[in-house]
Amino acid sequence: MKKIVKGMMITALAATVLAGCGNNANSTDNEGGSTGGGEAKSVKLKMFIAQPRFKEQYDKYIAAFVAKEKADKNIDVSVQLEMPTSDNAAQILKTRLASNDAPDIFALHATNEIPSYYKAGYLEDLSDQPFVGKLLDSVKPAVTTNDGKVVAVPLETISWGYLYNKKIFTEQGITPPTTLTEMKAVTEKLKANKITPFVLSYKEAWIPQLLLPLAAGALIETGNKDFVERMNKDEGSFTEMKSMFDIFDLINANGTDKATEVGGDDGAAAFAAGKGAMWLQGPWYAETILKNDPNMDFGVAPLPINDNPDATLINMGASTSLAVSKTTKNKEVALDFINYVLDDTASNDFFQSLKFNPISNIHTYDSYPWVNDAMVYIKEGKAYQEPKIPQSVKDEVGKGLQAYYAGQLSQDDVLKALDKAWQSYNKVNK
Amino acid sequence: MPTKSYKKYISLFTFVAPAFILYAVFLLIPTISGMVYSFTDWNGLNRNYDFIGFGNFVEALTEDPDFVGSLLFTLKYVVFMVVLQNVFALLLAVFIESRRKTKGFFRTIFFMPNMISTIISAFMWTFVFAQVLPQLAEKTALTFLDQAWIGDPKVSFFSILTVSLWNGVGYMMIIYLAGLQGVPQSLKEAARIDGANAFQTFRNVTLPMITHAITICFFLTLNGAFKVFEVVYGLTGGGPGRSTQVITMNIYEEAFSNNFRYGYASAKSVILFIIILIFTFIQIQVMKRREVEA
Amino acid sequence: MRQNKASSILITVILSIGAAISFFPIYLAIINSFKTQGEMFKSFISLPTKLHFNNYADAFNQINLLNSTVNSIVISVIGIGGIVFCAALAGYKLSRTSGKISSFIFFLFIASMLVPFHSIMIPLTRMAKALSVQGSTYGLAIIYIGLGVNMAIFLYHGFVKSIPRELEEAAQIDGCNEYQTFFKIIFPLLVPITVTISILDFLWIWNDFLLPLLMLTDTSNYTLILSTNTLFGEYNKEWSLILAALVLTAIPVIIIYSFFQRFIMHGIAEGAVKG
Repeated sequence: MKKIVKGMMITALAATVLAGCGNNANSTDNEGGSTGGGEAKSVKLKMFIAQPRFKEQYDKYIAAFVAKEKADKNIDVSVQLEMPTSDNAAQILKTRLASNDAPDIFALHATNEIPSYYKAGYLEDLSDQPFVGKLLDSVKPAVTTNDGKVVAVPLETISWGYLYNKKIFTEQGITPPTTLTEMKAVTEKLKANKITPFVLSYKEAWIPQLLLPLAAGALIETGNKDFVERMNKDEGSFTEMKSMFDIFDLINANGTDKATEVGGDDGAAAFAAGKGAMWLQGPWYAETILKNDPNMDFGVAPLPINDNPDATLINMGASTSLAVSKTTKNKEVALDFINYVLDDTASNDFFQSLKFNPISNIHTYDSYPWVNDAMVYIKEGKAYQEPKIPQSVKDEVGKGLQAYYAGQLSQDDVLKALDKAWQSYNKVNK
Repeated sequence: MPTKSYKKYISLFTFVAPAFILYAVFLLIPTISGMVYSFTDWNGLNRNYDFIGFGNFVEALTEDPDFVGSLLFTLKYVVFMVVLQNVFALLLAVFIESRRKTKGFFRTIFFMPNMISTIISAFMWTFVFAQVLPQLAEKTALTFLDQAWIGDPKVSFFSILTVSLWNGVGYMMIIYLAGLQGVPQSLKEAARIDGANAFQTFRNVTLPMITHAITICFFLTLNGAFKVFEVVYGLTGGGPGRSTQVITMNIYEEAFSNNFRYGYASAKSVILFIIILIFTFIQIQVMKRREVEA
Repeated sequence: MRQNKASSILITVILSIGAAISFFPIYLAIINSFKTQGEMFKSFISLPTKLHFNNYADAFNQINLLNSTVNSIVISVIGIGGIVFCAALAGYKLSRTSGKISSFIFFLFIASMLVPFHSIMIPLTRMAKALSVQGSTYGLAIIYIGLGVNMAIFLYHGFVKSIPRELEEAAQIDGCNEYQTFFKIIFPLLVPITVTISILDFLWIWNDFLLPLLMLTDTSNYTLILSTNTLFGEYNKEWSLILAALVLTAIPVIIIYSFFQRFIMHGIAEGAVKG
């Protein structure tokens, strides 16, 4: 008993000592607020967007929003923008949410993170917001929950398969293959001309992981439509996806050396230098590739996974998306900002400056060639929405395929580990 | 007598209070609440959780081969680090102590790796292993340099050790140097006059005088090696697969990627804490006996 | 005598080789900080064909160098000052007091050194928020005191044992009270270990990454390491800028280290004269 009292006294004492500092911080805040002055309402909006490389663009857009909010509603908005790097973003965001310190607006990964964050009750329902009507039909599903609610506005959307070196392909007179057999022929032809078909970069587990959404996505689309649903009920198994190893083996047998030593950066450098004709990677690496060789001509093509040409499809997904915290005290302003992201006049320049793909009809700027490549397939209907495989399963597949490549695990080991990971996901997220 | 002991406690309290209050608020209380989570099934995101007793602990030790694997890998790393780091640091300290003009220069150079951020220097080393060594192999015909230094788990264990030593030896060296400076020159000279060679002087005069520094360094190395994270994260990321995953990485993965099982991850860190505690306890007991003998 | 000379040369050779290995990665960081990224990926060991100083100019701007440096200095100075003050008091007293309570408190401090940081992240953030020390550089400095005293107490505790008790007894006979004795007699004798502690804590705080990342929400409060880390893009690591920033952030450390190093010499020389 005595110990408890003592403990409480210590805590109380510490609280008084430290509260002094807290007050100081607050008083400076108030000063800042009052100099804004007048009768205007003032609001402090906290945002969390893990893309420090775009700080300038965001700052500019936020400043425009602040001006608009002042003009339209006479609200003084001050925005505190937190921008950690993506490596740590999820960890920081989770810690903030867990300590009841949710930012008013935060960025999260649409396919990977929306389901669990929504389930835990952190995301505000945005279905009635005006921006929803402006979203392209191909984009909307990525930010819609299983029960049909839109909970985020997408910023970064991606249409991808693998990357190929257009110069090498033209020189060799080949086009992106549409079946696995054709892919084999392409690799043989490249090898005959002493060109390594594939750049391999498996040092970071998330790169081999890319195979799963590509292969599983295509297999689901062509005849296994309820796979995700069944997995969520513990009724399916990854043995149904075993054929994904066919293409993986082909890639690995015809790739560059020492793949487990090569990270994304090195991979981009190797691909730009023409050390391989194709690379299992998405167009999000465009910037890095062009930094290595500004004249590099590359394209995006769908990855063939078997001999059914209809299964050779482009993956459509969304990553960085903005959500509103359910606990925000500044809901009105937060919603205004979310809608401002798709503002009829300002949004076009904003998305263009970020080099993101268009997500709405109000976006009329010219896209990059590799985006247009993918669009051709999408317009032909040769595309599918990225399947909603839990993040933890994707993490597991990355590590599993790394170990498979290094010869530590067999195909069955990998598939078993994936089944276990999904079952564990079901158990935890009941 | 009672008043005196009362006074003694007041005095103890006033001296210790400033440190203890801040320590209690920012370390002790958070540690205890972390331990409380280890008995729950909290997943880090949900607002609700249930107490599940020792379930997490049982699961970690009996149903989680990845955790046990990372534990064994870490133990192997700890053994190598404790021995090598201290041997190298002590050797360097003795050698540097024997220099006159170049003492400051060498001390600065060997300490320099500590001055830059570990995580960035680990990334630097990946370039050394993946690009520089193969290039050197090409130029010098030292073909053994052309290896999968960070891609093959058998080799990458030693790469991880190399970088850890590069990073850690300077730190321990400073402590040994401080210890060596406390050894009176007169004692060493007396030994020399008595006909002892350099090694005998070191073994019989210097070493007993610096046992306290050795205790500190062993303690710090042991503790640091069990909690290694950044070097491995930067070099191999724990891969390929989980073949070089250390225990802190396994905990981190459990808490923040995988399924965010924060309660389960907390249980794993409690296990880690207990393991370090046991090892440290044994180490200090052994060292204390040594100190007394000396 | 001859043998001595030979072994002396051998030692110099060993030290020089060691120094070369130790410095090699830093050398690589420096030369590559002057290259463009393309040049760097072509060959990592070749010297730059042209010195690209604009890497430094860009890094200077992108990491907001002046502001970040001030933040790092404020946090380090307050943190180290607090650690030294609190830990010297506690370490001294715990070392001089025998008894169960004293040993138990000491054990608590030491045992907490073994706690893995990841396991207290969420509870610590909650605590920081509850006490509203989150988000400010001063608050962060106070947290560093709380997290850093254990190690410093450990080092002071050991060092105090080497100071003869007679000194305090003499001071008390001269009429000093406990506190005067500590500040006038003991604390000056602790200078060598204080310098060591300061250097070690400085390196820790200066290069620490996770704690500031958790505690600082506003970019204008970012420390040097946090700002540098913003150069690590998701798919695009700006290596030439990162290395330039690495060199820039290391410079203050090297300056401060050299300064303190002279101080160590001084303190030890002084101690030797008095002893």
